[in-house]
Amino acid sequence: MAKYTICRVSELPPGERKIIEAGSRTIGVFNVNGAFHAIRNQCPHQNAPLCRGIITGTTLPSQPGEYIWAKDGEIVRCPWHGWEFDITTGRSVFNPHKMRVKNYEVTVEPVPGEDVESVESFTVTVEDGWVILHA
Amino acid sequence: MLATQPAPTRNGHSAVREGIVDCDVHVFPHSLDEIRAFMDEPWRSRFSGGGRGFYGNPVHGSRQDAKPPSGGPSGSDPDFLREQLIDLYGMAYAICLPRAFCNHHPDPDLGNAIAAAYNEWLAATWLGEYNADGVFKGSITVNPQDPAAAAAEIDKWGSHPHFVQVMTDSGSRAPFGQRQFYPIYAACERHGLPFAIHPGTDGMGINQQPSPGYPTHYIEWHTLLSVGFQAHLVSFLTEGVFERFPGFRVVLVEGGVAWVAPLLWRLDAEWKALRPEVPWVRKPPSAYLREHVRVSSQPLERPDNDKHLLQMLEMMDAEHILMFASDYPHWDFDSPTHAFPKLPDALHRRIFRENALEFYGLAADH
Repeated sequence: MAKYTICRVSELPPGERKIIEAGSRTIGVFNVNGAFHAIRNQCPHQNAPLCRGIITGTTLPSQPGEYIWAKDGEIVRCPWHGWEFDITTGRSVFNPHKMRVKNYEVTVEPVPGEDVESVESFTVTVEDGWVILHA
Repeated sequence: MLATQPAPTRNGHSAVREGIVDCDVHVFPHSLDEIRAFMDEPWRSRFSGGGRGFYGNPVHGSRQDAKPPSGGPSGSDPDFLREQLIDLYGMAYAICLPRAFCNHHPDPDLGNAIAAAYNEWLAATWLGEYNADGVFKGSITVNPQDPAAAAAEIDKWGSHPHFVQVMTDSGSRAPFGQRQFYPIYAACERHGLPFAIHPGTDGMGINQQPSPGYPTHYIEWHTLLSVGFQAHLVSFLTEGVFERFPGFRVVLVEGGVAWVAPLLWRLDAEWKALRPEVPWVRKPPSAYLREHVRVSSQPLERPDNDKHLLQMLEMMDAEHILMFASDYPHWDFDSPTHAFPKLPDALHRRIFRENALEFYGLAADH
């Protein structure tokens, strides 16, 4: 497992993503409603660049005729065939137990010896540390 | 490369270039004005483009990564299409099927004008200016509600070196085996061009919806597109179209794959008793397929057990009648490297290359 420094917290606001090269893999790092998550940028279906898909919510399983919109901002939809994955877990919506994409830990860390700045235009409670991907 | 299905490479021009024939690639104008440039008035002013009007895909209609960086709609930039499809997968030929949507208009003159303009446009661009190496082959769009005009359009383009088939949407007012369409098939036969049917305007405008009534959702409509194809195929076979036009050939594009064998079993069984109703059907209906019918692979059904699909391929004579198609840049694109389970080498070569080379008469050393 290696550590990859992605960016400052302020450079990845909620609803945004960064797609990075991590060794031979490409991985998407997402800010989902203020929390950071990472999943592999490769759809398990036909290897499409999953993390380039639309970030959205979804209609949860429901009664016939009922629409329950939920998980807003937590779902990425594959840019090819539209398969939905939960960014926070890597699990697909249609078969969360068997169809999933690899996910990775992301932490926010100050870099030793460096002053941590705060950015007033960005209302987060965490200081503007570095987003670190563990992959 | 055909045997091992390698990961696609960016420098695909070399080792893999002799490979695949993609039998369903959609190319688009940068804007409708490109099409209007090939129209006379009053059509230039009246043409508003547009697809089927409803049953739009609620998720997305095209691959989200297929939008050219240069701007414009997916499938409109030849350099980007070459990068993302031709070079990436090492394609020898791409059979281009424009989406003209000309066959659901009540006014046949409007439908004919749209078809004619798309043919002029395709010849000037993807089969002309963009096609120095001849990788792009095209389809003559016809409006089957006016068979005489459709036949004239085929005669106009029939000797063009890069038009390799005639095409229409599967949406229709009647099954395609019926006699009102025969001027089209006579023209196809005259020029040695297959007649390709592609989904598009089923249930739209003047066309019948092949399901009982209008289904509620896109998922139903899209799944049931196969129904229209089945009806057209049964019609061709029972009306004796291949007896009347022995050189006539049909390609079922994007109409599904796994239904072919069971439908033909059923039709063959019916024929044993009901042959006297259609005495011109001189042999079991399934026996016409290898000579007259081809099926393109996308969207390939994928059961959980790969063996089940491989059995279906064997049962349908895929070795001789199935041709690979990707449907680029549409949302249900089938990747040449991932859409199929592992195939025996010889079968892979038949499906991804040889069947199409033989059927379209394309040079193998391209």
